[in-house]
Amino acid sequence: MVLHHYFYRLKCIVRDKQNMFWTLIFPIVLATLFNLAFSNLSSADNFSSIKIGIVDNEEYQSNTNFIQAMKSVSNSNQNGEENPLFDVQYTSKEEADQLLNNNKIAGYIYFDNGLQLVVKESGINQTIIKSFLDEYQQTSSTIMTIIITNPNVDVDNLISSVSNKTNYLKEVAVSKASPNNTVTYFYALMAMASLYGSFFGLNEVTAIQGNLSSQGARVNIAPTHKFKLFIAAMLAATTVHLFNIFVLLGYLTLILKVDFGSQLGFIALTCFIGTITGVSFGTFVSSFIKKGEGLKIGILIGITMVLSFMSGMMYDGMKYIISSNVPILGYLNPANLITDSFYALYYYSTHTQFFMDIILLCAFTVIFTVSTYLVLRRQQYASL
Amino acid sequence: MQVYKAFFKIILKNKLQIMIYIVVFLSIAIALANTYSTIINTNFTETKVNIAFISHDSQSKLVQGLRDYLSENSNIIDIPDETQKLQDALFHRKIEYIVRVPQGFTEGLMNGEPVKIERTAVPNSTSEIYLDSLINKYLNTAKMYSSSMGHLSEEQIISYVTYDLSQNIEVKLNNSADVTSKNENLIYYFNYLAYSLYAVLILGVSSVLMVFNDPDLKKRNLSSPMNLKSINFQLILGNLTFAVLVWFILILASFFMYGSYLLTAKGLLLLLNSFVFTFAVLSISYLIGNIVKSKGAMSAAANVVALGTSFISGVFVPQALLGKAVLKIASFTPNYWYITANNSIANIATFNMENLTPIFLNMFIVIGFAAAFLSVTMVFIKQTRMSN
Repeated sequence: MVLHHYFYRLKCIVRDKQNMFWTLIFPIVLATLFNLAFSNLSSADNFSSIKIGIVDNEEYQSNTNFIQAMKSVSNSNQNGEENPLFDVQYTSKEEADQLLNNNKIAGYIYFDNGLQLVVKESGINQTIIKSFLDEYQQTSSTIMTIIITNPNVDVDNLISSVSNKTNYLKEVAVSKASPNNTVTYFYALMAMASLYGSFFGLNEVTAIQGNLSSQGARVNIAPTHKFKLFIAAMLAATTVHLFNIFVLLGYLTLILKVDFGSQLGFIALTCFIGTITGVSFGTFVSSFIKKGEGLKIGILIGITMVLSFMSGMMYDGMKYIISSNVPILGYLNPANLITDSFYALYYYSTHTQFFMDIILLCAFTVIFTVSTYLVLRRQQYASL
Repeated sequence: MQVYKAFFKIILKNKLQIMIYIVVFLSIAIALANTYSTIINTNFTETKVNIAFISHDSQSKLVQGLRDYLSENSNIIDIPDETQKLQDALFHRKIEYIVRVPQGFTEGLMNGEPVKIERTAVPNSTSEIYLDSLINKYLNTAKMYSSSMGHLSEEQIISYVTYDLSQNIEVKLNNSADVTSKNENLIYYFNYLAYSLYAVLILGVSSVLMVFNDPDLKKRNLSSPMNLKSINFQLILGNLTFAVLVWFILILASFFMYGSYLLTAKGLLLLLNSFVFTFAVLSISYLIGNIVKSKGAMSAAANVVALGTSFISGVFVPQALLGKAVLKIASFTPNYWYITANNSIANIATFNMENLTPIFLNMFIVIGFAAAFLSVTMVFIKQTRMSN
């Protein structure tokens, strides 16, 4: 009997074009838009050579040390380095002003009774230019101090230690994956899509409740146990939505190349639990709210949007702001739990956080399902 | 004015759905506008990167000196030394660089052993290059003193290094554009407004038009003694009133948030720009309202059009970060021109013809879109009427 009901619900769900649009097509459209919008975002922190100008006047030409120092870090060096620190243009003062005004260069270096930097705004690139010029000045000061206080010093040795600087830093990765924060948007999108399964849950409740649809009234006359009906409906909704979620996951990983890490089994588990949470969330809302279907849909969309927002779908920093200030809010938010599971799988080397998220999601599902069933069972109607 | 009244009766029937959009999206817009903070640029200020500094070489004065130097040139953020906390902070750019000084580092450095500081950074980032150079500069200078002068105590080395590294060159700020932070947040508010306007207008206008386009109702209306011209006139009036009302409700919150700032020249330009944009959105909503046949299709269209056009035209992500091809496509929507105008209003330093012309040009383009979509709708209406 359960199986029979299951297959009929499956057919009903697949033929509901509107719900299929929201749960299957809409997330894909959104993912595509995210991809268009964020394709340059992750490369925004990436370093590229800073474009600067140098005013080529007499004072500059007489400063051979500086020319030497500049050569070692700019595009005119012969090492063939891929990404030199500076991309230099030699200009006149007027030209440099012109270039600066049109944002063609970040700043220009100007010798006028000493070293000067001219910029248009404050920023990290301008800071780096300044830092380099400071370093030139500072190194000169160091050499002066050493020669004055210790005249016996081996000057050649000193100069060579200036040009052969030691690198005292060693890169240590903090995690197995690079901290690319744009993935948060896609993880939150997966969470939103999972919670959109609530539309299916809503329809399933409508279809088995006598007071909500005529079909429900008919089904209620049959002697089938309500629990069997409910389980069959939930299973059918989960099946279809799980398919939708896997299509979305496939689209994200294979076509848009979003990095989900490599633990396929756990990723599938997250999708599965997320889907059930979504569907049961829908049955929960629709069994507790007695008003019309429009209101129910409105509430589902509203809640899903707010939860997704808090898990970082519109602004990736939101998730961190919440988890570092009011962590409890993060744990009470199913969308955040789903996002966090994907994040933990992608970024953390341990599974503690992941299992914690999954257990909490399961707890949510049980609460939603049990309370839905408690509302649905043993209802009798005097008149329909 | 029965038709005009009926228009608002239908809107009121759908008020819940519309209100949800207004409330949810307005609260998101407000929250987002408050999360951005910017620095006022009147002087050249060095950009300070947020870093975490962890030292296992606690006795060392040199490491303390390095920490002091870094604290002047970056913001040292206090984050507990737990892997997961550090990972989270780096991922969400709370910090961009982690320095970890191993035990016995200073001793090793002074004895010329190849010791290294462990550091973690966002790979290939600008902040990585900057902080690498700061740390190496400090340590190399210290090393030079210790190797060429000998017999120096750690304190002496630190005082020499601190003196050297306090040498600064002069920076001239060429263009003192006075950009205030409040202003920038206001731009975000008006940019997000585009999205809410789309969602609300499409939903409102289509829900009314769907009723009036219902074939049976249409037949009944046409057989009434009221002439078609009057019906259409009242419908148009209803649409216009509704659009202006929605615009007013949406900008109302900005008055509470930004107050009198809106009455400055920039604020007024922003208001005018959004007002002009409202008509383009209304015109698009009118077209969609005439095409869609069911409630489901209506909210699908509202979401896809509102989100789609907003995403590609820089409502959510700044235009500067979007690809060239994306912006080319976006320039076929009025949003693009609206956002561009908003951004140029924000960047205006002096109000002269040269700066204002492009802004007004953008507004004209938006009006052009309004007219274009309206004429397409007219043709569409005429064709469906002829084919019936």
